[in-house]
Amino acid sequence: MTTVAPGRSGGVAKATPKLRRRSPRLRKAFPYLLLTPAMLYLLAITLYPGLFAIYQSLFVVKFLSWTWTGTGNYSAILQDREFWAALGNTAIIGAISLSLQTAIALTIAYFAYRDPFIRGWRIVYLMPMLFMPSAVAFIWKLAFNDGRVISDILMTLGVVERNVDWLGNIWLARMTLIVADVWQWTPFLFIIFVAGLQSQDQEIEEAARLDGASWPAIFWNISLPMMRPIIVVAVTLRGIDITTMFTNVYVMTQGTPGGATETMSYFIYRQGFRMFNFGYASAASVLMLILTVVIAQTVVKRAFHSGKS
Amino acid sequence: MASIQLQNIEKRYGGFVGVQGMSLDIHDEEFLVLLGPSGCGKTTTMRMIAGLEVPTGGTIIIGDEVVNDVDARDRDVAMVFQGYALYPNMSVYENIRFPLRMRGVPAADHDRLIRQAADMVELGAFLDRKPGALSGGQRQRAALARAVVRQPQVFLMDEPLSNLDAKLRQSMRVQIKHLQRQLRVTTVYVTHDQIEAMTLADRIVIMNKGAIQQVGTPDQIYTDPANTFVAGFIGSPPMNLIDGDAQGGRFTAPGVDAPCPAGLQGKVTLGIRPEDARVGGDHVQGMVYGVEPTGDVTYLTVLAGGKQIEVKAARDFRSDIDVAITIAFDPARLYFFDAQGERIRGDA
Amino acid sequence: MAKPIRRRGESMILRYLVLGTWALVCLLPILWFLSIGFRPRTEVITPQPIYWPTFSLDAWRLLMSDWPIALYLRNSVIAVAGSVVIDLVLAIPAAYALSRYDFKGREDIGFYILSTRMMAPAIVAVPIFFLFKTLGLLDSVWALMLIYAAINLSLVTWIIRSYMLDIPKELEDAARTDGAGDLRILWEIIIPACLPGIITAAVIAAIFAINEFLFTLLIASTSRAYTMSVALANFTGGSDGIIYNAIALVSFIAFVPILILVILIQKHLSRGLTMGAVKG
Repeated sequence: MTTVAPGRSGGVAKATPKLRRRSPRLRKAFPYLLLTPAMLYLLAITLYPGLFAIYQSLFVVKFLSWTWTGTGNYSAILQDREFWAALGNTAIIGAISLSLQTAIALTIAYFAYRDPFIRGWRIVYLMPMLFMPSAVAFIWKLAFNDGRVISDILMTLGVVERNVDWLGNIWLARMTLIVADVWQWTPFLFIIFVAGLQSQDQEIEEAARLDGASWPAIFWNISLPMMRPIIVVAVTLRGIDITTMFTNVYVMTQGTPGGATETMSYFIYRQGFRMFNFGYASAASVLMLILTVVIAQTVVKRAFHSGKS
Repeated sequence: MASIQLQNIEKRYGGFVGVQGMSLDIHDEEFLVLLGPSGCGKTTTMRMIAGLEVPTGGTIIIGDEVVNDVDARDRDVAMVFQGYALYPNMSVYENIRFPLRMRGVPAADHDRLIRQAADMVELGAFLDRKPGALSGGQRQRAALARAVVRQPQVFLMDEPLSNLDAKLRQSMRVQIKHLQRQLRVTTVYVTHDQIEAMTLADRIVIMNKGAIQQVGTPDQIYTDPANTFVAGFIGSPPMNLIDGDAQGGRFTAPGVDAPCPAGLQGKVTLGIRPEDARVGGDHVQGMVYGVEPTGDVTYLTVLAGGKQIEVKAARDFRSDIDVAITIAFDPARLYFFDAQGERIRGDA
Repeated sequence: MAKPIRRRGESMILRYLVLGTWALVCLLPILWFLSIGFRPRTEVITPQPIYWPTFSLDAWRLLMSDWPIALYLRNSVIAVAGSVVIDLVLAIPAAYALSRYDFKGREDIGFYILSTRMMAPAIVAVPIFFLFKTLGLLDSVWALMLIYAAINLSLVTWIIRSYMLDIPKELEDAARTDGAGDLRILWEIIIPACLPGIITAAVIAAIFAINEFLFTLLIASTSRAYTMSVALANFTGGSDGIIYNAIALVSFIAFVPILILVILIQKHLSRGLTMGAVKG
């Protein structure tokens, strides 16, 4: 250590200035101030539209004329077969698609994790997710309907005899939507599941191996249960997005046949921007909002509190 | 002047009391060590001096000013953290410069002060590196330089050596002590390592469960402990504490019969340091429980009346286990504590 | 390249069969669509699907001449980049507050912000449409910018918050004793320390913005404000029907930058997509 000894004189000139005391009120308010810009922005796009939608839903809107109808829109909607059909479709298509995605993603993740060879090729498994959703919709529209590729493959395999009219049958049409959604979004779940599996403590797996367990047994009894909170978070996120399915419907089926593939989002779109029943569409929006809030409060809150510390 | 006064300081977290009613006078230019086990309140106390925690009761005075309501950034205090807390995106140079910029030191002085500080810790060659490219010891010195550069009224150090390996710790201890002497800055140093405390401190404050157990020089703490906690905390291996009875000038416990002050009566605890006991004599009758030769000394553990007694024996002492053995205590070095653990002072 | 591993109790053949099959499932439609982009229009929709088309730059020529692809690209870039900037400016202070301060209502505010991510675009579609109509912003790139920013704000906030939580409190304590105030700590210490998180958030927000369809469809009513994702849907040549080869080409033009961005943040993908809940 050098013996340069500046002591207290060779350095910064120092008087003892009066110490600065800051306002404790400012200190307490500070985090709120930080949040204000973001909150204002969010409130502008949630509160304002929400109030507007509620307001507008009390009117029948034809172009520029607003006629008061009170709960007229609501009673009409609740009796509207198409509304309930849209709700049902969203639920059915969503549930099937979500289950399929989850099962496939989990299976692939199970086979893929902790494998350095696969890790290098990981990007291939991600690719479907990287395409614009509208582009994906066109891929499958071409494959199923316009380009008849899928039919051709099925014919070659001997599964069907003639060209399949995918839009002619309720379940076939729904299936095209499901296939498109599963193809595009399984990677989303896959990457999260893999991350979750790989973040688990390797020592536990090694201990189980020393105890003589086979890999499938380790996965089934140890890794999978430990993954539960992660699965819940990922499936919840994806599930919420699935209920908003719009793009595929718009591009591929437009709700045919007979409204069997019309989802809630498409219903609102059609009512508002095809038939210009804005009041009606707003009422539907309000109902969908209520549904969303309920789901958010129950399912999501739990998912995110168990999924993170 | 940079003396510090803690007047009845208290820190509560809801129902939990981290520091209770603590009063302490820290002298200008002294090196004071807060020593104690984890959770004893030493770090909390230091953070209150820094201004990082606000006391829920009591007053803190630095220099002549009451600083309770003064923010940490406005106090003239510099701190070295256990994890060094170097800013990872800045070079060592910029790290050291940071406090100068924050305090409005004229830019013209920066370079000189930084190099001065870096030289003091022998880090002059590493100024361009980022913390990630430094070794543990170098990071610690960089943290020191950053604290030193401002020449504050007070240095605070929160277990700065605990992340270093043993050899490095020793050399850094010497450097820190030297640095403090050079700069003559009031220093408060927190540690749970008694060797650091004994070697660095002008005075030691031993704390446990939020309260001061004893304040004194290392000598005083070692030779005149105030209670069984202090006695058992200082010294390695720690002082032997044996519960027993005192009657008519004799202390008795299972396997133990030793002299004690004539006036002592009733349940007492006898304390004797391992280096003040030797093989032979007749104060303790027991069995050899363990023999640990370390090269310069042999640690002998004797089992007497169900209690293990440590003795520092000669370096060539050897024995089998479960052999009968006797121990003698140096009567001038016996300590006695009452039933509450408080030291009974008076002639031994 | 790493070697394939084998795992006990498991057939390696089965394993790589499954993995290989799924890889093909992911890849083949993409390759096929790529081939669509490079074939003449006559070979796209045929009675029998053509698997080995003739190479043609028809679509490319079409894009260059008839469709203002540069305009759509420019719109996409402006709207997306602008929305990301807006989001970062708003989200970073918000994330800072949520992650490093303790104040009343923190949980509730945090949850409210989180919940806006859950909102279906269709719910606010009609009101937003009317709002921008009154503001006269309909059919402008600025409207899109504001909407994308709104959609992604909660995502960006929560991702950055997650990364900020990882910063050791000691760093802040050190900066404070060195004399720094809160804003300076944010700017000089916190932000550099969570830069990967900021980049991850920006990339994911950008991708979601590029992908956005519903609002863009409603707001950009003439092709003046079209972005890539919506322009696709309107590549109809009148009586010619849907011009698939042009659509395919445009899809890949959008795909490449997204691919590059994702490769950039690969390691952080899982953490970003789950807003911090699952750390890869």
